[in-house]
Amino acid sequence: MKKVLVAMLLVLAVLAPIFAQGAEEKKATFDKDAPVTIVFWTHEDTSRNVLEDQYLDEFRALHPNVTIEVARFAAEPLRQGIQTSYAAGNGPTVWNLPIENAHAYIEAGLVAPVDYEVVGFKNADDMRKHYADGMIDAVYVDGDFYGLPLELTNWCIFVNKEVFRDAGLDPEKDYPKTWEEMVEVSKKIVKRDGDIITRRGFDFRYSYSLIYFVPMVEQLGGALTEKDGCVNAEAWIKALTFMKNWGPSGENLGNSTLTAPRKLFNKANGDVAMANTGLYQEARIAAENPNFYNSGEWMVVPFPVFEGGKDIAAKYYGHYYHVNAEATEAQQYWGWELIKYFLLTPGHAEEYLTKVGLIQPLESLMNGDVYKSMPYSDVFKADFARATITYYGKNAAAIQTQIDTAINNVMLQGVDPADAYKTLQANVLELLND
Amino acid sequence: MKSKVKTYSIERKQARYGFAFTIPCLLFFAMFSFYPIINAFITSLTDRKAVGRTWSFVGFDNYVYLFTKSNGGFSMLNSMKATGLFTLECFIPMVVIALVLSVLIMQLRKPGQKKFFELCYYIPAVLSSVVAATIWRIMFQPTGLINQLSNTLMFTSGKDYKWLTDNNMLVASTVIVYFWKHMGYFTILFITGLASIPPTIYEAAIVDGSSRWHTFWKITLPLLKPTVMLVSIMSMLQCLKTFSTQYMFVQGGTARKPIDVITMNIYYTGIRTGGYLGRASAMSIILFVIMLLLTVFQFKAQKGGEDVEY
Amino acid sequence: MNNSYVGKVSAGEVITHIFLILLVAFVILPILFMLVASFMDAKQILAMPFKWIPSKDYFTSSTRTYFTNFIKAIRGNNNNNIFFTAMKNSLIVAITCSVTTVFFSALCGYGLAKFRFKGRNFVFMSIMSTMMIPFEAIMIPLYMVSKSVGIMNTLPGLIIPFAISAFGVFQMRQYLLTFPSEYLDASRVDGLGEFNIFLRIVLPNSTPVIATLGILSFRNQWDNLLWPMLCAQAEKLKTLPLYISSFAEEKQTDEGALMACAFIASIPMFILFFTLSKYFLGGAAVFESRKG
Repeated sequence: MKKVLVAMLLVLAVLAPIFAQGAEEKKATFDKDAPVTIVFWTHEDTSRNVLEDQYLDEFRALHPNVTIEVARFAAEPLRQGIQTSYAAGNGPTVWNLPIENAHAYIEAGLVAPVDYEVVGFKNADDMRKHYADGMIDAVYVDGDFYGLPLELTNWCIFVNKEVFRDAGLDPEKDYPKTWEEMVEVSKKIVKRDGDIITRRGFDFRYSYSLIYFVPMVEQLGGALTEKDGCVNAEAWIKALTFMKNWGPSGENLGNSTLTAPRKLFNKANGDVAMANTGLYQEARIAAENPNFYNSGEWMVVPFPVFEGGKDIAAKYYGHYYHVNAEATEAQQYWGWELIKYFLLTPGHAEEYLTKVGLIQPLESLMNGDVYKSMPYSDVFKADFARATITYYGKNAAAIQTQIDTAINNVMLQGVDPADAYKTLQANVLELLND
Repeated sequence: MKSKVKTYSIERKQARYGFAFTIPCLLFFAMFSFYPIINAFITSLTDRKAVGRTWSFVGFDNYVYLFTKSNGGFSMLNSMKATGLFTLECFIPMVVIALVLSVLIMQLRKPGQKKFFELCYYIPAVLSSVVAATIWRIMFQPTGLINQLSNTLMFTSGKDYKWLTDNNMLVASTVIVYFWKHMGYFTILFITGLASIPPTIYEAAIVDGSSRWHTFWKITLPLLKPTVMLVSIMSMLQCLKTFSTQYMFVQGGTARKPIDVITMNIYYTGIRTGGYLGRASAMSIILFVIMLLLTVFQFKAQKGGEDVEY
Repeated sequence: MNNSYVGKVSAGEVITHIFLILLVAFVILPILFMLVASFMDAKQILAMPFKWIPSKDYFTSSTRTYFTNFIKAIRGNNNNNIFFTAMKNSLIVAITCSVTTVFFSALCGYGLAKFRFKGRNFVFMSIMSTMMIPFEAIMIPLYMVSKSVGIMNTLPGLIIPFAISAFGVFQMRQYLLTFPSEYLDASRVDGLGEFNIFLRIVLPNSTPVIATLGILSFRNQWDNLLWPMLCAQAEKLKTLPLYISSFAEEKQTDEGALMACAFIASIPMFILFFTLSKYFLGGAAVFESRKG
């Protein structure tokens, strides 16, 4: 008797959660003055948060019926939070992620196409004209755009002039233009205690191989495609061999376990001479270390190219603001209104640029005076011209992890580059066919 | 035992109360343990993903995939190997050293000393594993304290022992952190086991002319057998479930593959790269089965060890 | 070999002491490191050779003091100042779980130990079997259950899935098996209701196991990282491990601030441990299910 009771209880307990789900809310007929709550999630970035908080206050004053719940996260918690909240059926109304993470949501129909009328364009073609060539293609699917670009970023090489001079080099003349020169210059700057490196010349951004490493492969004639994976084994193996030579079993100039140079660069402690990072770094240097920023002891130079290789710069990547396709009609409307207010209100794009260092790929901005006045913007612009957007296709994040692993294997685990390539290609093909 | 004079109905009434007392727990576990594991099993039979609203049943495809493909470079077989390696490298030294320590501590004559050592060894267990992993990760840096100490102790200089960069050293590093954190707890378990052996046994042994060494091997250790079994299996099962240490290391930038224990692979496969919920659920079920088998083994072994007579 | 009952200091004893002290050094080293590193600049922490005393020589900006790290740790990422909120959340969750675990585990263990009813063994084995379900195996369905019950992203949501522990039920049952039934029978004869007997007789007389169980539950919840990671999306809901983990992600190169954060986050547990050490250390005694 008791056993039956227990069994029944268990069955009930199993079924209960299913019944507990409330009835779905019907979509309200849309009244623009009715109170509505939208949820806005973005990632933490001190200068941008300050700017957007100001915009949010202004927006709230203009539209008192709209309540905006704001939450800011570090990069990975944001990605994860968006994923799990969508899985539970209540994703945020407005959000942004790097395009390689966001693309899956576009493909799954979880993100709404741009409401051109609200945002202020006539249609998709009109919108395209307002942005620099090709830079919003990443969110263009089947005739519609699915987000508005918050930033498109590319990375160049920041140089600390003081460290160069300390190593007996002249930064203006001796900065590396090829990867081979990069090795030579770093050799002169590196200081070690036995095997342990205490000062570096340059070092890579090891967990972002899609951005810095794939272009190196492309310079040698290879590529990463959604159809065939890592194309041109010879190019890949050559690039992997270069990385192996960079690491402890070669010239010992750096590796992934040391602190990322871009985090050390702002401190100007003499730990690192060069870092591979974007225009936004300038705003961070100014905020963290104004003395260094104003001293003029830093400069920016283009992304190096292998000797005899194709002239290709580091990939650019982007963040776009998206609107949740599962939100109510009212929420979606106000979501686009908010995005429009942030990004397209006259003067805002310039403020994003000067105060945060973020570039929206608007034609007007990139050809305007404000952009020209940012230090070394010409270097970034020139590099934009010889670069393409990062791979954002299927399983981009997992593929990046695999490339990172291959580089780690040749640099730190003594794996032969040809073997590493074989494993890499096998894994990438498996990911693409998943 | 109640005398037969009492009526049947009182017993029934008590039985109802007894059952009623267990109901809150039953409901709780039904909702938060049984339902989820059944749900996980069902999900493991689908191709459900974290991003996306449509999915379909695929039968045992996920299980086949896990044992034949590389899961984007982080295969289930590698995880099982990593987990097994970590567990073996960890729980054996932990049990042995905890046992040795407990014996040594019991030898101390002044009780104040005993308490001092017990306190000291237990402290790491009080820290959160996030804190422990963070501290050690900083110490294991190439220019960090551990490398410097190693160089001093091994009479080398400037040598990088590659605590976080070499795949094998990385496993050893996670083992060290876990060992550091849990050794004290197991030592205390052994001390209690030792303390429960009546001193009269030792006195009898000494009267019989037994040396300390002889006493230890022939008397103490056999009497401690149930405790040793219990602690061994407990620590082994806990090692199989390890997550925080490995996760914090990978978060701090180390390679993932050598320390890609099963729990972490489930987390990454299901929540991170790709969000393959169906596949992650299959991994969860496999882990569950492994632990089920080992726990059954634990109960059987414990039953066998319970009949230890003084 | 020397007989320990003779009052001489033997070579064996000296070796024993040396070995024990060496291990203490191993155990204490990282803690000491955390303590001193909290006051240091990141540059000093990774300097070669490592100097144990925090020194101004390594300060990289003129505004630094020895306490800058602590201020940074409390201010948090982007000065969001949620450190004390996180600590408060951790405390609330841990204390509540501790109380509920003790109460319901005791209730259930009592029912299983002292009452005979049909299916008693079945119930006990079912509850024990849940101990084999690792959290990672059920975290995603658990997420969905929490969402449908409406406790996702709330404080109850952090507490409820861990409100009872099967291990606690096991402990209590083992302990209560040896609880003298005469007291219970006498109370029944006196006319006390069953539940009252539980509250007034059983609970107060089980303090050792209750205290230990309570403390272990507190410690386990204090340490919980994975569930809060899934459940607590709102910033004001974060718990300490979550706080430290995201602080670590942001401030990867500011090791000093990181150590300061770890330090102050550990203070509550240190206080608890040093004041109630007998319950921590006595935990094993209860585990062995010896009487009283």
